[in-house]
Amino acid sequence: DTTLNMANWLPPAHPLMKDVMVPYAEAIKEATDGRVTVNVLPAPLGPPAAHFDFAVNGVADITYGVQGYNPGRFKTTAFAELPFLGDSAEANSVGYWRVFDKTLRKAGEYDKVHVLAVFTHGPGQIFTKGRDLSTLDGVKGAKIRVGGGIVGDLVKGLGAVPVEGPSSKTYELLSSGVADGITFPFESVASFKLIPMVDSALVVPGGLFNTSFYVVMNKAKWDALSDEDKKAIDGVSGEALARRAGKMWDAADAAGKAAMEGKVKLVPASDTEMEGIKADLKPVIDAQMAEAAKAGIDVEAVRAAMHEEVEKAAKGE
Amino acid sequence: MSLAPAEADDRRAAFLASPGRRAIAWLCAALLVAMMLITVADVVGRYLFNSPLPGATELTGLLLSAVIFVGLPAVCFDEEHVTVDLLVDRLPEVLARPRLLLVRLLSAAALAVISWRLFVQGQAMAGYGEQTVSLHLPVAPVAWFCAAMTAIAAAVTFATIFARPAPPAR
Amino acid sequence: MTWPIGTLLLLVLMLSGMPISFAMALVGTVGTISIIGMSPALSLLGQTFFDNSRDYSLSVLPLFLMMGNFVVQSGIAEDLYKSAHAWLRHRKGGLAIATVLACGGFSSVCGSSMATAATMAKIALPSMRRFGYPDSLSTASIAAGGTLGILIPPSVILVFYGIMTQQDIGKLFLAGIVPGIIGVIGYSAAVVISVRWRGLDLPTEAKLPLKDRVLALKGTAGALLLFVFVMGGIYFGVFTPTESAGMGAAGAMLLALFSGRFTLDDALITLFDTAKNTAMMFFILFGALTFTNYVNLSGMTSDLQTLLATFGTGPVTLILIILGLYLVLGCFLESLSMITLTVPIFYPVVASAGFDLIWFGVFIVVVTEISYITPPVGMNAFVLRSVVRDVRLKTIFSGLTPFIAIDFVRIVLLILFPALVLFLPSHM
Ligand code: NA
Ligand code: NA
Repeated sequence: DTTLNMANWLPPAHPLMKDVMVPYAEAIKEATDGRVTVNVLPAPLGPPAAHFDFAVNGVADITYGVQGYNPGRFKTTAFAELPFLGDSAEANSVGYWRVFDKTLRKAGEYDKVHVLAVFTHGPGQIFTKGRDLSTLDGVKGAKIRVGGGIVGDLVKGLGAVPVEGPSSKTYELLSSGVADGITFPFESVASFKLIPMVDSALVVPGGLFNTSFYVVMNKAKWDALSDEDKKAIDGVSGEALARRAGKMWDAADAAGKAAMEGKVKLVPASDTEMEGIKADLKPVIDAQMAEAAKAGIDVEAVRAAMHEEVEKAAKGE
Repeated sequence: MSLAPAEADDRRAAFLASPGRRAIAWLCAALLVAMMLITVADVVGRYLFNSPLPGATELTGLLLSAVIFVGLPAVCFDEEHVTVDLLVDRLPEVLARPRLLLVRLLSAAALAVISWRLFVQGQAMAGYGEQTVSLHLPVAPVAWFCAAMTAIAAAVTFATIFARPAPPAR
Repeated sequence: MTWPIGTLLLLVLMLSGMPISFAMALVGTVGTISIIGMSPALSLLGQTFFDNSRDYSLSVLPLFLMMGNFVVQSGIAEDLYKSAHAWLRHRKGGLAIATVLACGGFSSVCGSSMATAATMAKIALPSMRRFGYPDSLSTASIAAGGTLGILIPPSVILVFYGIMTQQDIGKLFLAGIVPGIIGVIGYSAAVVISVRWRGLDLPTEAKLPLKDRVLALKGTAGALLLFVFVMGGIYFGVFTPTESAGMGAAGAMLLALFSGRFTLDDALITLFDTAKNTAMMFFILFGALTFTNYVNLSGMTSDLQTLLATFGTGPVTLILIILGLYLVLGCFLESLSMITLTVPIFYPVVASAGFDLIWFGVFIVVVTEISYITPPVGMNAFVLRSVVRDVRLKTIFSGLTPFIAIDFVRIVLLILFPALVLFLPSHM
């Protein structure tokens, strides 16, 4: 029998742990008839950004994390992070996994691990306090906290001032009033207890950005599994795991939205605003795609495939 | 801890007499003041001119790395590590020398291993091109720098075995 | 279950006088190798030392140290002591109470207990000796008053705790204020008790006219200015608590520059010391994290949870057991190592028992304050001993008894009335 250590950097009650990773661990045990069990470590072994290497080096057997925490390392993530991908995390995640499985993995960025899944968060939006978001002028000049990277560029593209900071700094930036707003999915605004600190949201159809996640396994540990166990684990991983995660984020977003009722005014971006947003963001997207092309990827084909697969997944195909 | 206020005046004299110390002190001062000024520039820029300093947090992080590892050889040279000398002071005279030898050897060995692993960590990050988030600065050279400083600290610690019978009095 | 062996080995290495940072890194790495193998364990070692070294939120440590060192250089401590002295010089034991008050004021601009004790020793002790205060009382009031450095914000230990437990550092700072004021009152009471109990006949000076006393308050201006700048900056949203360290360091540097006491050489020594302190503290942190990783992988946390559960249920029992453990550890361990070693083990247990982690942070700091002044390893007593070379450790510790007793009263108050801690941060 095999026991796999799963590294964990989130509190046990976080939905990604409680509703995705722990049930996934149970699903592995069930699918392998108890031959493979997963032991979730009680405390983090290091900062979130270290977790991909934990799987590469065998520090832990299964790890999960955010590609964006290792800037420069994962260029193919850009396709999942771009604006206007889709409104459902489930459809985005399933579509992303399919394109990853077929095309993106060939870029070789994940060659040192066995990939169990990639998926995305729900669509990210801009939340602000004390600003009128009915026109794009409301965003201009606002200090918006971003995690950095592409979201910073997107925010800058819209004429806002990106204030960088790690997610641990989010609460203090907003609660102290240093930042006027934030880019987050609905779920995170609620879970970081930021609802009292914002009053409006600019809701862009398809989202302004997404955050990409990975779940990976140490290669030697994977290779050491029997073919039967590999097949059993495959059955609960990949698209199944991406779907499980996407569903969780959708549910969490819905709960976040519900918690905002009466407290945060949701302002949908109008058609004219969307035109402005698309024009503003085009240079950012182009630059990002040029970067991804360096990874040896047919950028246009992959972008088309992403949209196609996300749409298919949204229709339940 | 290295506050050692009693010897402040002796230390001041020793400090002024040693060009090596002064040079390292200038480096420490530059790194720390840079770290401070980055925060000030970020806050002032953001508050008064609506334009925060790009990459302030990541620069602060890299400078922090540098400060820690620049200070390390000096701590090893002065043997100012925190230790529990509860039993040590009551050890019989015959055991004093062997104990000191063993402690210094183990400490130097620990530092050597850490230095080696920092170097390997740098190699790994260079391999996949780890950068900072906004300024896209490569991170690997910082790890190599830390590895080099730790190697110096290991050498300094090893040299204390031959240089002194006991740590400098505090 | 290898952790009892690992813990024992660590204890042996530490007692043999090996630097605790290396001892923890060594045992942690060897232990981790025994669980996950050589190559993964060594790569974890490299990641632990590098990834945490460039963690932005940890930058507050050197910057608060820098702020404290510049504050020391600016002569603020002397000004504070003169102000307190003017108000209390006519009271019996007034100089010792003035010392405690000045320590509290100095703590509001300096994040380290040892720096507070060392600074105040140089300023308050000579005048207490001049008036014939017994060394036991005067050194004890400095050693105890100095512990407030880590409770009244800013505080290096609260920053460490906030990082290890992912708690809001701004809230932790606010939470330390009221217990800090209780500490000032308590230590002043301890001075009065010492004087009465031992029947000390201490000389007093003539009471100053109100006008002179009010004028003397201008000595508090420097400290007040810096405290208001740092806390006000946070409160009004000009900067975040993390940024307050850099802003505070800049403010302290300006104060030192304009104090008339500033020299380039002193500034260089100050910054060199800051870098050395930083290296030392971070290597303790990295060592502790390496050891913690071993603890994590070895299943010690769940074993301890099971063990604690057998002692009985109920949060009060749990917190009393933890208090007892800390008091014992605090006799032997240096504070920073004690915190970095134990907090990762205890905080999940405490959180699952329903305790507020902000409250627990302040609780830990107050217990750590006690560890600074209890024999045989009491760091503040050591600091006093090194500043005042002609006083015996035994004398310092004997004078500290009433202060330690008062600390126990404070702990009981905090356990009975958590609102003392949580009221301010809940209104942030
Ligand atoms: Na303080
Ligand atoms: Na003690």
